[in-house]
Amino acid sequence: MPVYEFVPRRENWYVWLPLLAALVIFPLLVRSEYILSIAVYAGIYIILTSSLNITNGYTGLFSFGHAAFYGIGAYTAAILATRLGLSFWLTLPLAGVVAGLFGAAIALPTLRLTGIFLALVTIGFQEITFLVTLNWIGLTRGPMGIPAIPPPAIGGVALSGNLGYYYLILALDVIVLGLLSRIVTSRVGRAFMAIREDELAAQSAGIPTFRVKVLSFVIATFFAGIAGAFFAHHARFVSADSFRLDETFAILTMLIVGGMGSLVGPVLGAVLLVVLPEASRFLAEYRGVVYGLILIGVILFRPEGLAGVPGIIQARGALSRVDESSGAGEPVG
Amino acid sequence: MSLLEIQSVSVSFGGLMALKRVSFALEEGEIVGLIGPNGAGKTTLFNCLSAFQPVSEGHLRYSGVALETLSPHQVAALGVARTFQTSRIFRRMTVLEHLLVGRHLHQRTDLWAAIARPAWVAREEAEARECGLRTLALFEDRLLPRLHDFAETLSYANRRRLEIARALASEPRLLLLDEPTAGMNPHESAGIVQLIKKIRHLGISILLIEHDMKVIMGVSDRIVVLDHGEKIAEGLPEEIRRNEEVLRAYMGRRYGRA
Repeated sequence: MPVYEFVPRRENWYVWLPLLAALVIFPLLVRSEYILSIAVYAGIYIILTSSLNITNGYTGLFSFGHAAFYGIGAYTAAILATRLGLSFWLTLPLAGVVAGLFGAAIALPTLRLTGIFLALVTIGFQEITFLVTLNWIGLTRGPMGIPAIPPPAIGGVALSGNLGYYYLILALDVIVLGLLSRIVTSRVGRAFMAIREDELAAQSAGIPTFRVKVLSFVIATFFAGIAGAFFAHHARFVSADSFRLDETFAILTMLIVGGMGSLVGPVLGAVLLVVLPEASRFLAEYRGVVYGLILIGVILFRPEGLAGVPGIIQARGALSRVDESSGAGEPVG
Repeated sequence: MSLLEIQSVSVSFGGLMALKRVSFALEEGEIVGLIGPNGAGKTTLFNCLSAFQPVSEGHLRYSGVALETLSPHQVAALGVARTFQTSRIFRRMTVLEHLLVGRHLHQRTDLWAAIARPAWVAREEAEARECGLRTLALFEDRLLPRLHDFAETLSYANRRRLEIARALASEPRLLLLDEPTAGMNPHESAGIVQLIKKIRHLGISILLIEHDMKVIMGVSDRIVVLDHGEKIAEGLPEEIRRNEEVLRAYMGRRYGRA
């Protein structure tokens, strides 16, 4: 079975269970705050990349505003925690809901647009979100950011070191990936893929494509918000700079390098591109060069990414030639 | 009441009239062939019937329901399935997944059921799979051995078959086939004729666009001829074969007079 088809199931426990066990004992072996903090960041990016994969990978929508929803989640959690004193366990789902609501608000008017137009609208939303967070000082404290966000508490004990955060994000990743894998292997996931492959044919099969695209967008933005809430309670400080367009591109790069349209791809991409820059610190100023070369290498030699669905990059309308299956209308005959 | 009634339907693209007051009906269980030279408006009519193309004037009634105000997925939900002239397959989905998408309308797993996975979801999937396999059996050994292959790896003829299979999986009452044998060799076309006869035995009515006269004469109960957006003839296959107007439209004026 190719890697891009892998979905964790009861039958293939021998693949994912040892991996999970290794991840559980990993921090007991390394005992390094630095390495654990990298692992925690990888865990956050796994959620961000996997959720972006729902729209960009499975449904074939071009969203370029993922960091905005990540930021909305982070700010929602930060504001609720510092002003209302809500705990992490409440801010986490609420951040997802607020980000998902913003996702729906963007999706409803814009998902009638396709390809490059949707990309432009989401980039615009990204910039607007940044400017609003920077200037709405009454709500976001603007350039000062929001400090002193309380850490999550488990059984009344606040997390202090990265060990606790590591297990928390590991649990969160397992839950998120479990939910996403159930979604993409269902009738709903098939509807996403059918829309990606041919929207007209999907409609003819009875799929209400507009509604399904909105759903895809809301799912992706909900989980971006969840990642944002974790980030806020982990960094314990949020500011608008963390959620700019370059952050969106970082997530998108992870998705492309890891591979779109599969469950494994985004996980590999997130881990690789979080760990790689850290692991190559000894290269000093050549670090960026090596990073760039790896990206170019992947695009040239493995355009579907490490574990993406083969052909998923070429056959997409706006990035490539308009092929026969992406024309809007049928010829008159 | 007819299953499908096309009542004085006109479509204009700017100044160009793609269809001019076309009327005909299709009875339950019937196979009606739709022929005409290139540009006659056959596919435009299909696009109107599947709600991809709004009609400028006239009415489309499918078992009494007005189709012209619906969207494509609502038309599909009424039991009208179609195939496309240039096949529109899901290239990076497997043969089986095409059939499961074809079952979309008969399933009810939504986001919450997908996440919670109550027992009926597994039953529903097994049922869809079984129905998909039954549908594929109509195509003998063409598609069944390729169940888990991506559609883009299929041969041209198999892609066309897969599109028909996807449409059939939705158990339509009316099937719109747009040139199912286009680009096929005579042997493959003969297979499509057999297939169409099998589909009729399932009780499905068919509206068929086709250029291959052997196919159209072989399976149609009645034939409707369009030329330049107008209906120029309607009748039994043998009547159409002898119709002067039809010969003129196809072969040119001189042939028609001779």
